[in-house]
Amino acid sequence: MGLVRDVLVGSWSLITGMAVTIRRYGRRNVTVQYPRKRLEMSPAYRGHIELVRFEDSGRHNCVACGTCVRFCPTNVIKVQGEKEQARSKKRATLYFIDFSHCSLCGLCVANCPTKTLKFSNEYELAHVCRWEGVVDLIRRVEASA
Amino acid sequence: MWQTAVDILGPDVARLVAGAIGLVALVQINTLFLVWLERKVSAHIQLRLGPMEVGPHGILQTIADGIKLLGKELITPRHVDRKLYVLAPIVVFTGVLSCLVVIPFSKELQVRDLDVGVLLIFAFSTFNVLAILMGGWSANNKYSLLGAIRSVAQNIAYEIPLLLVVLNVMMWTNSLQMSIIVETQSTIWNVFWMPVAAAIYLICATAETNRAPFDIPEAESELVAGFHTEYSGMRFAMFFLAEYSNMFIVTAVATTLFFGGWKSPLWLDFLPVPGVVWFFLKVYALIFVIIWVRWTFPRLRFDQLMNFSWKVMIPVSLAHLVVYAGIIKIIG
Repeated sequence: MGLVRDVLVGSWSLITGMAVTIRRYGRRNVTVQYPRKRLEMSPAYRGHIELVRFEDSGRHNCVACGTCVRFCPTNVIKVQGEKEQARSKKRATLYFIDFSHCSLCGLCVANCPTKTLKFSNEYELAHVCRWEGVVDLIRRVEASA
Repeated sequence: MWQTAVDILGPDVARLVAGAIGLVALVQINTLFLVWLERKVSAHIQLRLGPMEVGPHGILQTIADGIKLLGKELITPRHVDRKLYVLAPIVVFTGVLSCLVVIPFSKELQVRDLDVGVLLIFAFSTFNVLAILMGGWSANNKYSLLGAIRSVAQNIAYEIPLLLVVLNVMMWTNSLQMSIIVETQSTIWNVFWMPVAAAIYLICATAETNRAPFDIPEAESELVAGFHTEYSGMRFAMFFLAEYSNMFIVTAVATTLFFGGWKSPLWLDFLPVPGVVWFFLKVYALIFVIIWVRWTFPRLRFDQLMNFSWKVMIPVSLAHLVVYAGIIKIIG
C-alpha cells in the first residue's frame, strides 16, 4: 500500500510542479533586450559613489575634509580642495575614485560630515583597461547639472 | 512532373525517392523548429526572452547555428576506433529515417503502409541505442563511455514497459498496421480507453529519447556531454538531428496509437481542416508537453531511474496488460 500512496502523492507533486512552470510561462518577462532597452535601476542599487547636487545651492557640498579618504579601506578616493575666498570653508576642486579597487562598503557615504556622498545608479561598469575604472566625480556632478 | 518521374523510375522507385526527399526535409525543418521552440519555451518558463536577434522572435536563429556547425572542423581525436567513430552518426540517422517511413501523416500521406508498421518502428528505434554505444565506445573517452553505458542500460529498461503498453493497443485494434490503428479510433481515441497506458507510454518515450528528467546519458554536470563529448561539427549535428527527430517519432507514434492520428476530434468534425494539420497539431502539442516536463523537473539519479523502471513501470504495465487482455476477452 505504501508504494501506491507514494505513486499517487508523487504524481500529484509532479502536477503541482508543472502548474508552477506553466503559470510562469504566461507571465511577463523580467529581462529586456539589453543594448536596445534598459531597465530602470532600483534606488537601493549601489553603483560607485557620486556627489550629491543639493537643490537649494545647485551644487555639491564637499568641503574636502578628507574623512572619506581616511575611512576608505582600499584607498580608492583622492580629493583636493581650495578656499574660494579668504576665511571661507574649503571646497573640493578634484574628486577622483578608482572604482576597480572599491568594495562598495559604504564607509565614505556613512561618514561624510556634509552628506554630500551617495551611491549612484551606474551599472555599466565593465571596462577594457584598469584606468577606465577611474571616475572624476566633480565633472560628473557638473555634467548632471 | 510526378508522372514523368513514375515513367522514368517506375512507381516504386519514384515513391522511394520522393519519400526520402520528403522525410529528410521533414527531419531538417522539424529539428530547426524544435530547437527554436525548446529555447523559447525554456526562456519563457524562466521569465527570459530567449533568441530574439535573428529573424522575427529569433525564428532563424537555428539556421544560423546550423550554418556555423556546417563550417566547423570535424575533429577526430587520436586513438579513436576510427571506423565506428565515423559510422556512429550515420547509423543514428539511418534509424531515424527508417522509422519515419511508416508514420501516417494523413490518410494519403504515408511513404509505405506496411502491415508490420509498429514493429518496424520499434525495431529501427533501437538503432539509436546502437549508434550511441558505437559513438561512446569508439571515442576512447571515459565520459563518452559512461554516457553510452548509461544510455544502453536506460533504454533497455524503458523499452520493456513501452512495448508492454503498446501491446495493449495491438490487442485492442488487432493490427500492427498504422493506418488500421488510426481507422479504429474514428469514434473514440485509444487514450480514453487506456489512459494509464498512454501515460506510461509518454513517460517511457521521454526516457527513450534521453530527455530530462531521464537525461543521465548526457548529464552535463557529470559527463561533460555524454556519448557525444568528442564529436564536433556536422557529426555532432547528426546526433542533434537524431535526438530531436526521435522526439518527433515517439510523439508521432503516440499520436497514432493513442490520440487518433490524423483524425480530428469528433466535436470538431465539421471544420474543413486537412488531416495532416491535425496530425502535426497533436504531435507538436505532445512535444510541447515533453519540453515543458524537461524545464520543470530535475534529473533523476541513476539508481532512482532504474528502480522506477524495474519496480514501478514494468509491474504496472504487466498488470495493465493482464487486466486489459481480460477486458478485451470479455467484451470482444
